[in-house]
Amino acid sequence: MAGIAELGVGIGWRPEIDLTVERLPGVDFVEVVAENLHAGHLPESVVLLRERGIPVLPHAVSLSLGGAEPVDLGRVEHLGEVAEAVGAPMVSDHVCFVRAGGLDSGHLMPVPRTRDALDVLVANVKLAQRNLPVPLALENVAALLEWPDGELSEGEFLAELVERTDCWLLVDVANLYANARNIGTDPERFLDEIPLERLAYVHVAGGVDHGDVYHDTHAHAVLPEVLGVLGELCSRVTPPGVLLERDDNYPSDAEIASELAAIRAVVTGRQG
Amino acid sequence: MTTPATGRGPRLSPEQLGYLAAGPGRAAETALARLIDRGLVRVSRDGLVTAVHRDGQGAATGVERSVLEHVRTAVRFGTVVETAAHDSEMRLLRTLLVSLGLMRLPRRRSASWWVYLVVAALLAVLGIAVPALLIGTVFFVLVSLRLLGRNALTTAGKEELARAAASDRVLAVALHGFRGEVAGTPVGDLFELPRSVVRTIQLKKDRKSTSDGAGAAVSSCSSCGSGCGSSGSSCSSGGSSCGGGGGCGGGGGGD
Repeated sequence: MAGIAELGVGIGWRPEIDLTVERLPGVDFVEVVAENLHAGHLPESVVLLRERGIPVLPHAVSLSLGGAEPVDLGRVEHLGEVAEAVGAPMVSDHVCFVRAGGLDSGHLMPVPRTRDALDVLVANVKLAQRNLPVPLALENVAALLEWPDGELSEGEFLAELVERTDCWLLVDVANLYANARNIGTDPERFLDEIPLERLAYVHVAGGVDHGDVYHDTHAHAVLPEVLGVLGELCSRVTPPGVLLERDDNYPSDAEIASELAAIRAVVTGRQG
Repeated sequence: MTTPATGRGPRLSPEQLGYLAAGPGRAAETALARLIDRGLVRVSRDGLVTAVHRDGQGAATGVERSVLEHVRTAVRFGTVVETAAHDSEMRLLRTLLVSLGLMRLPRRRSASWWVYLVVAALLAVLGIAVPALLIGTVFFVLVSLRLLGRNALTTAGKEELARAAASDRVLAVALHGFRGEVAGTPVGDLFELPRSVVRTIQLKKDRKSTSDGAGAAVSSCSSCGSGCGSSGSSCSSGGSSCGGGGGCGGGGGGD
């Protein structure tokens, strides 16, 4: 798997928990939200982590690669600059669109799983790749709706995306769980269909039930069911890395450490 | 809540000891220190303090409850201390310390106290020739002593403070403040706080003329050494005897 290093277990670095991330034992790598960083003015905490040899991976949320509009190369350039500033081995964004018709959705919108939409996505991804200094990984999103007339399953869609662009996959098992709960998809089928040899790393996050809908909030504890999906993935492949995402309502350091330990237990349990 | 091994007398909480050591500012620092120690608040590298739980759970005192309420959304480290120092809970804390006989109403030192002493001395000299003037000597000595001021701490309060030791990092804050030192180690380092964050706690200049130890005067010392007002006492890492004379650390907050 040339180009993708073993990452271990990590956590999303956020300024609110910077000291926590620095102190937590067993953090092998971190992810930063690329849009929140400036290459010329990296946060002291990120610099410190880099000096310790902790890999820092920029994660973007605004490239809108699944959109029908031209890719904003300024955003791609910014992502590349951040990647170079932190010495990242790769960058990532989502299989989604966030803008259309001059409006910003404020949410990661799922892409229609049609061949036409795939062609657009592939073209955008290739353009982004040509303008990035490091490999690009793309993440499956949590969807609250499915566009009509889909021609491919999500797994098939991503498999063809990988085949045509040579991108890497960032699999969010919490999103798989959310989709299973909300739109009835099958995480196991997804895992069967995607090229796991192109797995870059894995996201794990918490969420909460609101009536019949599961919200992937990144602000609640990780459910055992989400760890169950991670376990399912680990039964198929040893992921190069697994990262906990927490974006709000941060629990105590001890609780965060406990969630990381639970993730590590799933990964090493399968490995052992 | 950790209580110091004082051996005898009332068992004081670190927050109470902090108040004795340097007034409401120090008590506020101590409350924040315990919340950090227990993982109930989080401090970020840019100095923002936020409560870990939004329902205020874990608070052991009224001051801590007030702090947790304040930091439900992020607040700057120094501002947390400053605000808590002026909280109404501080009045209750002081009232408690007074009721325990550890504090009393202080009197500020008058700038003219020595004038009365000089007059008393003159009358004493003249009293050798005219013994009736010795009555005036006694009078002016008493006036001078009154104008000399009075420390906010009672003898019992000073003894409590002298017995206290910085045996854990919360007590280290109580006795020396985040900006102080214990055995050469900055107290802020015991909490792994960046120096830039600790420095957001404002140090106010000691009002040399006052012996009001209730915290209105805060010295510019870094380790509770000077700034003990008219008492002129000193502090050590083993137990402050900064007898209420202005004290140190603790971002303000008059009593």
